[in-house]
Amino acid sequence: MSELLIRHACVVDPVNRISGEIMDLAVRDGRIVESVSDRAEVIDAQGFLTMAGGIDSHTHICGTKVNFGRYMSPEDMRAGRTLKKGQMHSTSGYSVPTTYGNSYRYATMGYTAVLEGAMAPLEARHTHEEFMATPLQDTMANVLFDGNWPVMEAVRDRDVKRVAAIVAWVLTAVKGFAIKITNPGGTEAWGWGKNVTCIRDPVPYFEVTPAEIIETLIRANEILRLPHSVHLHCNNLGTPGNYSCTIGSMDVAPDLNKERQSLYVTHVQFHSYGGTSWKDINSKAHVVADAVNRKPHIVIDMGQMMFGKTTTMTADGPMEFNLYKLHHNKWSNHDVELETGSGIIPVYYSRKSIVNSVMWAIGLELALLIKNPEQCLLATDNPNGSPFVKYPEIIALLMSNPYRQAEIATLPPETESRISLPAIDRELDWNEIAMMTRAGQGRALGLRKLGRGHLGLGAIADIAIYPLSIGAIDPSKEYTRVIEALRLTRYTIKNGKVIARDGEILSNRNKTTIWVRPKIPEQHRMDHDPDFIRNFERYYTVRMSNYPVQEAYVPESTCIETEAVW
Amino acid sequence: MVRVILDVKPRKNPFLPVEAECLVPKNFVDEREPRDLSVWVGNKERRLEEVVTLTREGTATSPEDVELVLRGDTSRFKRVGEYMEAGRITIEGDIGMHCGNLMKGGMIVIHGNADSWLAREMVGGTVRCNGDAHHYCASGYRGEKRGMRGGEVEVMGNAGDFTAEYLTGGSVTIHGNSGDLTGVEMAGGTLIVHGDCSRVCANMTGGTGYVYGMVHHMIPTFRFRETAIIGPEKVKMSVFEGDIANRGKGTLFIKVYKYPL
Ligand SMILES: [Zn+2]
Repeated sequence: MSELLIRHACVVDPVNRISGEIMDLAVRDGRIVESVSDRAEVIDAQGFLTMAGGIDSHTHICGTKVNFGRYMSPEDMRAGRTLKKGQMHSTSGYSVPTTYGNSYRYATMGYTAVLEGAMAPLEARHTHEEFMATPLQDTMANVLFDGNWPVMEAVRDRDVKRVAAIVAWVLTAVKGFAIKITNPGGTEAWGWGKNVTCIRDPVPYFEVTPAEIIETLIRANEILRLPHSVHLHCNNLGTPGNYSCTIGSMDVAPDLNKERQSLYVTHVQFHSYGGTSWKDINSKAHVVADAVNRKPHIVIDMGQMMFGKTTTMTADGPMEFNLYKLHHNKWSNHDVELETGSGIIPVYYSRKSIVNSVMWAIGLELALLIKNPEQCLLATDNPNGSPFVKYPEIIALLMSNPYRQAEIATLPPETESRISLPAIDRELDWNEIAMMTRAGQGRALGLRKLGRGHLGLGAIADIAIYPLSIGAIDPSKEYTRVIEALRLTRYTIKNGKVIARDGEILSNRNKTTIWVRPKIPEQHRMDHDPDFIRNFERYYTVRMSNYPVQEAYVPESTCIETEAVW
Repeated sequence: MVRVILDVKPRKNPFLPVEAECLVPKNFVDEREPRDLSVWVGNKERRLEEVVTLTREGTATSPEDVELVLRGDTSRFKRVGEYMEAGRITIEGDIGMHCGNLMKGGMIVIHGNADSWLAREMVGGTVRCNGDAHHYCASGYRGEKRGMRGGEVEVMGNAGDFTAEYLTGGSVTIHGNSGDLTGVEMAGGTLIVHGDCSRVCANMTGGTGYVYGMVHHMIPTFRFRETAIIGPEKVKMSVFEGDIANRGKGTLFIKVYKYPL
């Protein structure tokens, strides 16, 4: 039995309606409890801001394309090197750091759980190997279904149960967490030298539309009762005028779940552009935010873009090819047989660029115009919009209008007529920030009931204590102090153990990989389906029996079993 | 003026690399310097005085007045003159990799040979190597899209492959032969090779190259413009534009060339 008592914590926990109360937190065996014995280890939180551990519901930190980002950019690996020290491994890299680099930086920012935004099923082993080398966060992986041949065939046949059965088999086989659709149909179409412009374009050969793929997968997701909803990266990323496609995609989603959203739309900043070309691009964040405000069954994340150097990586191969044609820098594209693809290029977002300035404003506008902060989560699509180490700056921007105005003043003057940010004076409070960085994520991922994203009795004792007395400062004026405090926790606690203190890592390992095994009726399982087996053996270059990821790849794991409603 | 002589002490393992980025004139201005200078020898950090014997002659008030003289076996001393802004470094023998990294000003003279990455991503100043320079002389480091941006590099002997890769500004002169892919991805500045080289300026987008010797494996995607008579020696040279495969606007003067078979 291990016990911990955190004294004088200034707790912000919106799930349990605690808003800046000074209180003690008792922890036994990794869970929050009513009280502990006087033998408990004691930590004095000195009245500092204390929240549940941060959760990143969309980030790219592990897997084949992340690793390709590393080795195509040795200059990025040279940026941000840290020496081996105590228990800490040496790390390197800025926008695509080593796995330890990611894990340490998240830990010192108070983050204890992360969702890898895109795992190609065929390449799942690589993701899990890197999860093993990400020692201080609980990890989950979205599984890509955007161009899955058997799924598209079942969608064409309007057989939602078959779609559910395929998803169940793949999720179990690759130890994945949720359904991800990236540019649905688009990457497959690109294999034919085409793309889809929006949700009504048919995918070559399969003759299904992105709208049909999205809607059928949402229904299949709820048949399987998966913890998370379908996680969508819309068609047409980064194209002027794409906002209408984004809203159209949201319109497709039925409202099927009372506990959480039915559709999670990711990095919406990249999907809220007006205009007809890069020359007249403008913000349509207000229109998209209106749509989200009217649809409580939709949750989005910001996909905030911050100025500076980074690397873009996505399963959206055709989009990355278009970016390459724009920048003429190094570029990589990749096809994953029968499933999906990917592309990677390094980028530099410049304050001098009107396009980049508009992008910067859009992410913030979304967060400020969407009324319920649990419907707009804080993320940068790390590292696509910016490396996650900039989260503290984003939080400060959301909390301070003067900070935003000071930043706007450094942008090209032509930007102002294209954005609505200068006129928005909303300043988020600590409750709202907690919702956007942990509570909302816990709900969106379906993990709130499992004790994540809050500090109620029975919750997992993942706790972040930041060196900031929130009663004594005004975030609107003292935004630089907010940034400083959120960069390095005084303590990051995971499962009741201190893993980081003042930027120093104190734990070798403290993690689990969460994956999902949906149970469906025996006779519908794909491992007994002659058609599925025949096509698998015919088209894949691997045998079906060699495809599933062995248990050895998830030595520390938590399997969520769900019972499908068939 | 101050002359600081750094005489390398005999080393048990002379092949161990020495990370010597502290060897820049500004660290030796003050009489009492060097106080806390250290170098990494292999994986051990050592005080500078454990590795070299220091002798000072004269006094100085600014880095411009400082000359460092490296004596003895410095062939494994890396990053000498890194970020140097002023003053002078004279190397009496050979020098290790990355000499003059990102240098901004001042002068480095090497009497022996230089290992790879001599004057990489240099911004200003002068580097002269009286011997040969190995690969990637005056180029960008791995993954970098801009190489040398300013200043002058002169190699009296031969240079290796990828010389002046990603050259963006300044001038590079090789008096002997240069290796394969000399001037590859060049975007600006001037490259002069007095001897032979191969696949010169492949993928170049800007700048000017001169080869007074023979170009082997001439890149076929350069457009021939004219024949011109160049310099006081009145050398007859072919003038090309390219690399058109990269929509390049560079100019290339070549005396003799051979296309690949
Ligand atoms: Zn993403």
